[in-house]
Amino acid sequence: MSITIQNLNKQFGNFTALNNINLEVNSGELLALLGPSGCGKTSLLRIIGGLDVQNSGKILFHGTDVEQRDARERNVGFVFQHYALFRHMTVFENVAFGLRVKPKKERHTETEIKRRVHELLQLVQLDWLADRYPAQLSGGQRQRIALARALAVEPQILLLDEPFGALDTKVRKELRRWLRRLHDELHITSVFVTHDQEEALEVADRIVVMNKGNIEQVGSPDDVYANPTSPFVYQFIGNVNLFHSRTHALWTQQPGDAVAYVRPHDIDISLIPQQSSLPAVVKQVRAIGSVVRLEAAIGQDGEVVEIELSRERFNITPVAVNDEIFIWPRQIKVFEA
Amino acid sequence: MAPFKAHSVLPGFNLALGFTLLYLSLLVLIPLSSLFFKTAILGWDGFWEVATGDRVLASLRVTFVASFAAAVLNAIFGLIVAWVLVRYTFPGKRIVDALVDLPFALPTAVAGITLAMLYAPNGWIGQYFAEHNIKIAYTPLGIVVALTFIGLPFVVRTVQPVLADVEVEIEEAAASLGASRWDVFRRVIFPSIYPALLTGFALAFARSIGEYGSVIFIAGNMPFISEIAPLLIVAKLEQYDYAGATAIALVMLIISFTLLLAINGLQWWSNRREIR
Repeated sequence: MSITIQNLNKQFGNFTALNNINLEVNSGELLALLGPSGCGKTSLLRIIGGLDVQNSGKILFHGTDVEQRDARERNVGFVFQHYALFRHMTVFENVAFGLRVKPKKERHTETEIKRRVHELLQLVQLDWLADRYPAQLSGGQRQRIALARALAVEPQILLLDEPFGALDTKVRKELRRWLRRLHDELHITSVFVTHDQEEALEVADRIVVMNKGNIEQVGSPDDVYANPTSPFVYQFIGNVNLFHSRTHALWTQQPGDAVAYVRPHDIDISLIPQQSSLPAVVKQVRAIGSVVRLEAAIGQDGEVVEIELSRERFNITPVAVNDEIFIWPRQIKVFEA
Repeated sequence: MAPFKAHSVLPGFNLALGFTLLYLSLLVLIPLSSLFFKTAILGWDGFWEVATGDRVLASLRVTFVASFAAAVLNAIFGLIVAWVLVRYTFPGKRIVDALVDLPFALPTAVAGITLAMLYAPNGWIGQYFAEHNIKIAYTPLGIVVALTFIGLPFVVRTVQPVLADVEVEIEEAAASLGASRWDVFRRVIFPSIYPALLTGFALAFARSIGEYGSVIFIAGNMPFISEIAPLLIVAKLEQYDYAGATAIALVMLIISFTLLLAINGLQWWSNRREIR
């Protein structure tokens, strides 16, 4: 089921959480809302789910305005950052909750509920925990149960609010891949909120980058990473070095005020001057896994530039602290300042 | 057998335990056991005669029935008060919150006199009931009113923090799963606060059973109708019938203890189902 968001506005007192948002979520895709905290991504998700109400604007599910439908009637599965499981119920009862509160005529028989719940628990690979209480589970298990609970009512849209935010790195990575696989199986239109760019890049079909209540860019992970359309996106997704036209006119190659953005891995080094290269002094060398990270000072005021080289590339030109080198960009993006 | 004292990083276990036992003995165990000794003077037959006297039985019934009714009322309305204080913001909320504690602080006699004045047939509130031939002050109904006043903070103060702990997210999750407001309350909120509510109920109930000061002013104290057991104890004391007084006290003690034990058992049972 597709979601259309038209001219959506949300204010909290004087604070504008969402500023005229327009967005189309395609049927069956996994969309990431990415942005720093306070950018409005969670507000947007909650409004889609009917947990908050917009000040103006429309939300359409498959072309139908859902303004008159509250959370209960939207048939949306919602997964919270802190799981929000029912503590006094077993895992089984948690998952069965949505089936048990259905209106009498739609309610399934007890055997049917049992079958469905076990099916869902098998889907999240936790059938063996059916009789436990949430407090007895690990964080990763809890979030999988929360997901099973949300899926029990067969939602047409799945909304996930920082679903892996409360988990440690290893579990988070596992669950990410698992969510991706699950989505490939079920194809429910899904929107998930995250402030972790790596997570968004790895899991999502498309990424919506948000900042201060505005949408900065919408695109595929590749697109957003490789072709940021604004300085904000450049800085938010991946590391970046800034070169101002006042001091580095050579790189910006633009009259007037401008700033050049260069990713650390788009900078190359050499021991002899190249065309349009800048002299620099190595300040730090750190080998981190498969890459080597250099910090080099340029210009009179010793501005620090981050450079990332593959280990092979570094071995061709091994440098040490205080070596004089020359750096030049392989790829550069200039925005007016 | 496990060792009596497990090793602990906190020092002073022996000292703290010794102090606790001494303190409890001085304040609770010795006074209560002296009740038994004092009563023992009467002998079994004498005790039985006092304890099963018509007037005593009637007063015990009045005490326990009125206390139970007041505790039930408090459980219901205290829950609503706690709910409002936790979930809504409104001007003057802090003042209302402070007002809840007033029955704790107010001398109970003052409360009793005030309530008696208000609920008397010619009082501010009592007059409207009098029109419908409902008499509140100087009847068992008056006792319930006084006990409800006394017990309110117990329920509110035990339920309030637990209710504040129930995250709004849990309710939102339930709503997004299609639960109606009533379902959310019945299946999600109530089970979480039920143990606290039971504790509040037990505290209010226990407090009401022992209440004396406020009740005697509003009850009318008619034997067999609106005479509470504590009043009967005081009456016996005034006649220097110490053994008779302790006999009634002992009966109350045993009944209260049994009831509290039962409520604790109920709580243990409901907690066991939910491992936190």
